[in-house]
Amino acid sequence: MTMSIRLNPNLLPDLLASIQQSQQNEATATEQMASGLSVNQLSDNPAAAAALVTNHAQSAQDDQFLQNASTLTARFQTADSALSNVTQVLTSAISAGTEGANGTLSAADQQAIAQEVQGLQSQLVNLANTSYQGTYLFAGTAVNTQPFTLNTATGAVTYNGNAGVSSTELSEGNSINTNIPGNQLFQNASGDAFAALQNLYSSLMAGNQANIGTAVTQVQNALNEVSTQRVFYGNAMNQVDLSESFLNQDKVNLSSQENSLVGADLAQTATNLSQAELANQATLSATAKILSLPTLLDLLT
Amino acid sequence: MGSLTASLNIALGSMLAEQGAIETTSNNIANANTPGYARQRANFAETDPVTFGNITLGTGVELQGVTSLRDSVLDLRVNQETQQQGQLDAFISSGQQIQALFNETTGTGLQAPLTAFFNSLSQLSANPSDLNTRQGVITAAQNLASAFNQTSNNLSSLQRNVDLSVTQSVNQINSLTSQIAAVNAQVQSATALGQNPGPFVDQRQQLINQLSNLVDVSQIDAGNGSLTLTTNSGAPLVVGGQSFQLTTQADPVTGLQDVFSQGNNITSQIASGELAGQLQIRDQEIPSIQSSLDSLAYNLGTAVNTQNQAGYDLNGAAGGNLFNLPAGVAGSAASISVAITDPTKIAASGGPAPGSPGDNANANALLALQNQTIVNGQTPLNAYSNLVFKIGSDVSSAQSNQQAGSLVLQQIQNLQGGVSGVDINEEAANLIQFQNAYQASAQVSTIIDTLLQDTLNMVQ
Repeated sequence: MTMSIRLNPNLLPDLLASIQQSQQNEATATEQMASGLSVNQLSDNPAAAAALVTNHAQSAQDDQFLQNASTLTARFQTADSALSNVTQVLTSAISAGTEGANGTLSAADQQAIAQEVQGLQSQLVNLANTSYQGTYLFAGTAVNTQPFTLNTATGAVTYNGNAGVSSTELSEGNSINTNIPGNQLFQNASGDAFAALQNLYSSLMAGNQANIGTAVTQVQNALNEVSTQRVFYGNAMNQVDLSESFLNQDKVNLSSQENSLVGADLAQTATNLSQAELANQATLSATAKILSLPTLLDLLT
Repeated sequence: MGSLTASLNIALGSMLAEQGAIETTSNNIANANTPGYARQRANFAETDPVTFGNITLGTGVELQGVTSLRDSVLDLRVNQETQQQGQLDAFISSGQQIQALFNETTGTGLQAPLTAFFNSLSQLSANPSDLNTRQGVITAAQNLASAFNQTSNNLSSLQRNVDLSVTQSVNQINSLTSQIAAVNAQVQSATALGQNPGPFVDQRQQLINQLSNLVDVSQIDAGNGSLTLTTNSGAPLVVGGQSFQLTTQADPVTGLQDVFSQGNNITSQIASGELAGQLQIRDQEIPSIQSSLDSLAYNLGTAVNTQNQAGYDLNGAAGGNLFNLPAGVAGSAASISVAITDPTKIAASGGPAPGSPGDNANANALLALQNQTIVNGQTPLNAYSNLVFKIGSDVSSAQSNQQAGSLVLQQIQNLQGGVSGVDINEEAANLIQFQNAYQASAQVSTIIDTLLQDTLNMVQ
């Protein structure tokens, strides 16, 4: 005959521990179901909780980049449309110069055309002084200084801005330049728009055919230069668009990463919850049965 | 030679012994649910025989005594596991409060203000001359500084709460050791008188178990039934009928309560129990988190200040400090604040020319700090995210240990119950047996009585 080990006659602690465990499982499943999260405390999954910090930071950073992108786009559009107007002004000046170069015109007619050119010059100055929300777009980094001033006596245009170029990040590690200094656009060695218009004006006033022809060529060069440089803004807007779609995609990715890090699988959680409820009920009824089992004393009469 | 009177005495003696056994059974059943109670057993023994010539006759049964059934090794194991559980419970309870301060899923913690600060610089880069944007940087810097301050203050107040618990634990320990000393003396005198010390041992084990929940207890059998209790490092708690009180005294440096035994500072030697868990939170966990926060605040603040000094403000003047910081790393999180209120003082520009408010070179350099390893070889965000991991994983590993330990404790308690627990069925069976024996002896005495009557009648 083998001697069996005497068991703990007091079943209550084990039963209570089982009840506590099954209630704990039920509470966990309920919490996950209610919050939709599998990680509600750092200790639920420390690695996921730490990764969530980076995930949220990156998502907030993307939001900021997107906000910057819309600021930049608006600024680039304003600059681009100002330059579009500049090309029209210069094209008008070329037509006026070509008309003025016609030898059959009287001096008075030529002077009338010269006045028209003078008007174009002041339009050009205005366009070169275009501002967006209080900052000048073509002043280099001297954005609070009006970049171009016209000396009405001499017709000379002075650049008061600087040669500064700013750059801004569109997304992490991806920066672009955000401006072209005005002197590079309008007073470039390969084509100086203000000097060309001034020459055209004075040649027309003087009625000098040869000089008018030279001045028209200069305006043409300036037009070519502005058109070439304007491509910068077009490219910049494209880059901002590209980075916006990248950022939006990144946000989608981050949100799905967040879900896989800390989101509860709702189907799984619902199953867990109903299993936990079932298990808890089973534990309770088993406990009730065990605790009400008759003892030998009950059988004594 | 045998006599009827001797037989009658044997029957009466048997009835007395069975009565004692029935009383023991009744007492066992009465205490079936009494915490710490160890079931008792009536010990029967034959009485000394008498010899007449070459005939030896038995003289019956006697109740020699009552023994409480305990396994002192299991008692010891239960106490040891209880010490571990006490320590882990205390650690987890405070650890959960700590981790709530850094819970990214509920939006608490430093990530949001830290990211918002760098985002304000990103915005500044896109619009360096705009005063509202510059004001935004100052506001974001203030939010970041106050998030540091608040988190650090919350940790400090948690630390003070735990410090109060340390004092309370020491008071509870003292109250328990006084009670144990008194019971210890009772065990000793019952043992000396040859009585069953069981009920006092039950009480003592129960009290030592409560003490184990609070502090590490090492017990030495002093012989004569008495126990000597010390902490694991040897600080005396109970010797015989005398208890040795622990005291607390504010540490001159930290202001937190140190634990003393007999004039010795034993704070760092408390190895388990709730007191150890409290000290672990108070003296290690919270200071370690504070020091990580200090390092983050100090290194980030210093890097931002240095970079701001390298640039030029909206008026073309060289930049100054953006953050006020203490001279050293310690206390930086609690005291970091924003040094400027004038938004023009942010040095967004890379060059001194006063007329270039659109220059964002230094704003870009400030923003770039976000991705530079300026905090002990880590970026600010990574340093913070590692801290979050450490906090969560400390609680989580304590929880795993606690769960594993509670299963072990449950098993040992079952083994202990196997030795000491009262089984109603067993007691009922015993009761029937003792009842039968009692009734049989009563029947024997009736028969002897009849025989005596017969003898008397014969004489008449």
